Amino acid sequence: MTEKLKQLYKTQILKHAQNPFNEGKLEAYTHLIKAYNPVCGDQFDLYINIVDQRVIEASFTGYGCAISKASTSVLAKHILGKNKAEIAVFVADFLKLLDPNGPQPLEEITSDEELMAFAAAREFPERLSCANLAWLALVKELFPD
Amino acid sequence: MESLKSEFPIFANAEKEGRTFIYFDSASSTQKPQSVIDAITEYYGGYYANVGRGLYWPATQASNEYAKARDKVRNFVGAKSAKEVIFTSGTTDAINKVANAVLLPTLEADDQVLVSEMEHHSNFVPWQQACIQKGADLKVIPLTTAHTIDLAALKATLNSKVKFVAITAVSNTLGTKNDIKIIVRLAHAVGALVLVDASQLTLSERIDVQKLDCDFLTFSAHKLFGPTGIGILYGKQALLERAIPFSYGGGMVALVNQDETTFADLPAKHEAGTPNIAGAIGLGAAIDFVESIGVAQIAKHNAALRTYTVHLLNQIEGVNLLAEDAGDASILSFTMEGIHPHDIATFLAEKGIAVRAGHHCTQPLLKSMGLPATVRLSFSVYNDQREIEQLKTALEEIKSFFG
Ligand SMILES: Cc1ncc(COP(=O)(O)O)c(C=O)c1O
Repeated sequence: MTEKLKQLYKTQILKHAQNPFNEGKLEAYTHLIKAYNPVCGDQFDLYINIVDQRVIEASFTGYGCAISKASTSVLAKHILGKNKAEIAVFVADFLKLLDPNGPQPLEEITSDEELMAFAAAREFPERLSCANLAWLALVKELFPD
Repeated sequence: MESLKSEFPIFANAEKEGRTFIYFDSASSTQKPQSVIDAITEYYGGYYANVGRGLYWPATQASNEYAKARDKVRNFVGAKSAKEVIFTSGTTDAINKVANAVLLPTLEADDQVLVSEMEHHSNFVPWQQACIQKGADLKVIPLTTAHTIDLAALKATLNSKVKFVAITAVSNTLGTKNDIKIIVRLAHAVGALVLVDASQLTLSERIDVQKLDCDFLTFSAHKLFGPTGIGILYGKQALLERAIPFSYGGGMVALVNQDETTFADLPAKHEAGTPNIAGAIGLGAAIDFVESIGVAQIAKHNAALRTYTVHLLNQIEGVNLLAEDAGDASILSFTMEGIHPHDIATFLAEKGIAVRAGHHCTQPLLKSMGLPATVRLSFSVYNDQREIEQLKTALEEIKSFFG
């Protein structure tokens, strides 16, 4: 197994893929976000409940590869407690992590190892659409323009 | 048959660079033999000119080679006349042209068009959109448990309202093969026309359009060792003559006046504009390459590799082979318990093994099988058993990694 691959399938990512955060539907939610990748068929439904302008609950259902599943799981976990403005910054930072021309070192973007693990996607351009799938769908829903 | 790897320069080039390259994605597109590459280079470097116009020697030679390529195709599919062979940019283009120029002008509300559940999106969406446009019904024929078109269901669905039946000969996802001859006979019995998507058939059996009696048949050159951007539409002469021109412009006209135009005879009538000359010449060379080995030989080689793969992969617990029994195919799809096809494909790619993961442009098929995606292997003349053993080892590693 190559070093590059080991980076991509870091333990943080595998952990989320195998034991995802809050998999399942929410009883009450304000947003149901459908993330679909027509190229590979990966498909997730992200449930978010925003009360008093903050995310109080998030979960997801669906099917996808380890990368897309873990990234959706990490998203659901990390937006908890955030308001829209904070989500905007958070998502933008994550997308910078994935960007092959994004900032180096990664610590400039985040110190969270769980998020940083996804920077390995920089080496796998064909997997970018797995790593950002739910994130772009969320942006489309919350910030339609 | 020995692997013909040495005829395909990409493999020697990869080796020179020290890169492993095991190519199991020929159903998507085959690699190119030196003879095809040379034919294209010779045209561009040796006698380049447009066809059908110039009176100077390269124009004459280019026109001759272009005509020769058409005749090679005619012979390859067993058509009566070269007039029945129209160059298109590929299968997708050919199907759209038939849908637009043959079906649409005669399609009425409440007419029906039949496709099958295993169609590639290219042989699905054009018909679906034509039906939507005219308020006609698109009916999707289901598959049997053996993953071939259910002939009983087809029979039950056929009626005099069915104007067109569009079916693939071989599933590009599973490798299973339909009985085209019977399907054509059944469709003709109710007066429907039949288009056969032969994209995956060309290297699987010798095509004989007269025996099949299909009205249209199409394939892309790039799946049989030829270049991209060129494909074939075979059509029965009377139908091609009756159809409105596929598109309008130079090269397809006889007389142009301000108020009206008379069109050229077949095949020019359906080939407006400067054609893909290098593509046609490349396709001609690809057909020469195929004929020099023999379609039957190629099919046998591929099927033997598939059988060997079935044998080896069945030894890995958790591997689920799809349509395992489609013995004479060159395509084999599988899934692995708990591991997504894309993760498998990325792992294999890092080892230099090229496979395809996804829905293979057959979403209705995968939906019917309850699968979001598969890993697809497809074999060709440059593959050998050793490569399949390497694949097996890699899959075992993947399993223990994710396990
Ligand atoms: C069965 C089938 N039909 C249609 C197509 C489309 O061919 P092309 O992309 O060359 O037009 C393919 C190739 O992917 C195929 O396998």
